[in-house]
Amino acid sequence: MRYLSEYRDPQMARALVQRILDAATRRWTLMEVCGGQTHTIVKQGIHDVLEDAVEMIHGPGCPVCVTPLEQIDRALHLASRPDVIFTSFGDMLRVPGSECDLLQVKARGGEVRIVYSPLDAVEIARANPDREVVFFAVGFETTAPANAMAVWRARELGLRNFSVLVSHVTVPPAMVAILEDPACRVQGFLAAGHVCTVMGWEEYEPLAERYAVPIVVTGFEPLDILEGIWMVVQQLEEGRHEVANQYVRSVRREGNRRAQDLVAKVFCTVDRGWRGIGSIPGSGLGLSDAFAAFDAERKFDLESIRADEPEACRAGEVLRGQIKPFECAAFGNVCTPERPLGAPMVSAEGACAAYHNFGRLRTGTGAVS
Amino acid sequence: MIGASSLQNRLCPMPLTANDRIQLGHGSGGKMSAQLLRERFLPRFASAHLRSLGDGALVPVEGAEIVMSTDTFVVSPLEFPGGNIGHLAIHGTVNDLAMMGATPKYLSVGFVLEEGLELQLLERVLDSMRDAAEECRVEVVTGDTKVVERGKADGLFVNTTGVGFLHPDFRPGPARAEPGDVVLVSGPLARHGMAVMAVREGLSFDADIESDTTSLAPLVASMREAVGPAVHTLRDATRGGLASALNEIAAAADVGIVLSGPPPVPMPVQAACEMLGLDPLYVANEGVLVAFVSPDVEDEVLRALRRHPAGADAVSIGVVTDRHRGTVALRTGLGGTRVVDMLPGDQLPRIC
Amino acid sequence: MCLGIPGKITRMRDDLGFAVGTVDFGGVRREVCLAYVADEVAVGDYVVVHVGFAISKVDEAEAHRTFEILREMSELDELEWLADVADAAERVP
Repeated sequence: MRYLSEYRDPQMARALVQRILDAATRRWTLMEVCGGQTHTIVKQGIHDVLEDAVEMIHGPGCPVCVTPLEQIDRALHLASRPDVIFTSFGDMLRVPGSECDLLQVKARGGEVRIVYSPLDAVEIARANPDREVVFFAVGFETTAPANAMAVWRARELGLRNFSVLVSHVTVPPAMVAILEDPACRVQGFLAAGHVCTVMGWEEYEPLAERYAVPIVVTGFEPLDILEGIWMVVQQLEEGRHEVANQYVRSVRREGNRRAQDLVAKVFCTVDRGWRGIGSIPGSGLGLSDAFAAFDAERKFDLESIRADEPEACRAGEVLRGQIKPFECAAFGNVCTPERPLGAPMVSAEGACAAYHNFGRLRTGTGAVS
Repeated sequence: MIGASSLQNRLCPMPLTANDRIQLGHGSGGKMSAQLLRERFLPRFASAHLRSLGDGALVPVEGAEIVMSTDTFVVSPLEFPGGNIGHLAIHGTVNDLAMMGATPKYLSVGFVLEEGLELQLLERVLDSMRDAAEECRVEVVTGDTKVVERGKADGLFVNTTGVGFLHPDFRPGPARAEPGDVVLVSGPLARHGMAVMAVREGLSFDADIESDTTSLAPLVASMREAVGPAVHTLRDATRGGLASALNEIAAAADVGIVLSGPPPVPMPVQAACEMLGLDPLYVANEGVLVAFVSPDVEDEVLRALRRHPAGADAVSIGVVTDRHRGTVALRTGLGGTRVVDMLPGDQLPRIC
Repeated sequence: MCLGIPGKITRMRDDLGFAVGTVDFGGVRREVCLAYVADEVAVGDYVVVHVGFAISKVDEAEAHRTFEILREMSELDELEWLADVADAAERVP
């Protein structure tokens, strides 16, 4: 596959690994923001081969993992209604709510359908005028343009039976929350390549300046990740802290203006809770008033559905990058992908699942080594 | 560090839910399926044959030894690029018998038909079954049909049960894999699962992907004739994909398996997997077998497989080790190792 | 937020003011909304697609340029490694 497969070349990967090991005069601590990057890193064993030069801390870049318990419960409530066809991306189906998950609601007779694109959900609404169709609009800034277009389209088509349950989060406020934490050890960031494809990288420049951290916009294939890490390490070695772009084939400084414009029309900035972290002001997107008719939260009576994030679960510490999954006592024994305690173990690119599924041999935790 | 005992008392936001219903994941071939079998089915049937969980059961019949196997087919949609449920129904049971080392001979077929099923569709399915049975040289000797109300079946469910005859000195079995064995795969992966996914509503895409449904019996016969007992284990990699098959064998034989790199996947199949965020290792096949053979016969077995169209792309993919018993690992291009675990349920398309 | 893969536009059309096209991902083809890249792409261009939407046009020139730099670097490594191996071999009595 062009512009994809060649970025997996093992020989070139080894050359980059060598460059990083040669460049680092000490061990640096980096954070990759995005779950897809975590997936590649753990799956390819990148954190292992670079161990001497770099410690990778895995950031909260998994929108599935950070969707607040309350939103999951609201989704479950809607999916259980007989008049609702509940549509969602696949990743959300196994995330546990307070009592069950969407797959279990499906088992009990709720109509839950996986879609690839939010436009498919709009089509389902068109084809089923006598049912309410709700789409679970989860994601970072990458997915917001798609969800915005779905709502826009629904309005153009005059649909009355389509709504979205929004749980969008944005990256920069989360990075600020991590950097403001006194326990923060992160010295450099790999910014999320597809988030920046939409948003550009302008909004990261003040962060690099204020917190004196290099931020490199990075892609998702092994060569992208390695090149991104190399660029961060070089900056750290030279005492620089700038925003740079590794993912040149997709990202421009201003991002995609058209996408940003439609997102600004359909959504507005709101405060959002992040599962395991708590509320981060201005870190989310909600539907703007002009599109209230498509807001599932306003259309259905969901106010009464509340859930408190418990203090005890360590998922928060994993999501904030303070502990590694295998440093949690539950990892691999009480908490496994089949019986997860927290969201990072459920989601395919949650840090805990990534370590459990790919990394068990090394840590020797809960597995034969 | 928090001790394990105090975990029991913690306020857990996600209590380990008691599942009171069957979920789709129970049919995925992953850990949930295994658990269902172990906890609900096996305790009720006192059979050593059943407990060994092979692809079929080797039973003594008046001095001879026959293999019996059964499989039920519930695929939706009923027709997909490269075949239909009828092909799967015949090939599936024929292949299970072949994986036990038997030559398949007789099949029974049982149908559950949904009220409203188009007769023309049924006929297409039956035609496929007739053709496949002829090609596999098996005889359908008995059958049954039931009809249920609209909504109680996905168009059509079919069960086939097969009987085959064993050959002397050819008893491949999951527990026979041993350290040093070479792991071979008969062809490229993930074709069936992605062919079906291509026509599933909500995920549909247009692709040059066809199901690989075919009989593996000729491949097995070739291997048997070439090297006989040097073939230790055979498994067809159906639901749950190659990864599930390898994990089951690693557990049954109490060995570790190391794959030398990513196994072969045709380009459009890889592309479809990339698009949906699926790992081809876990996607279903219907015409691929994995063989564990003595290292000294590796070349001979590959030659035997490659003589057939279904085995033309056979390759070695790894070895069996006495380290990390019960776990399957894969060498990455960087020289690292990742675990190829069994998934709990179905693999879900992801956006992240 | 991540899963975006590159594909080649093989067809473009207008669906009542809504730019859509067919994108080919190495043999798999799907309808993709091109609204966010409509004024910069043509048939034959590559785009990055996320959940059925093209979010950027692949900058092929930049991609080739930076990839070549990486490739040359790795080939240099191979040559050096081979040279080291040859040196070591010569030193063996």
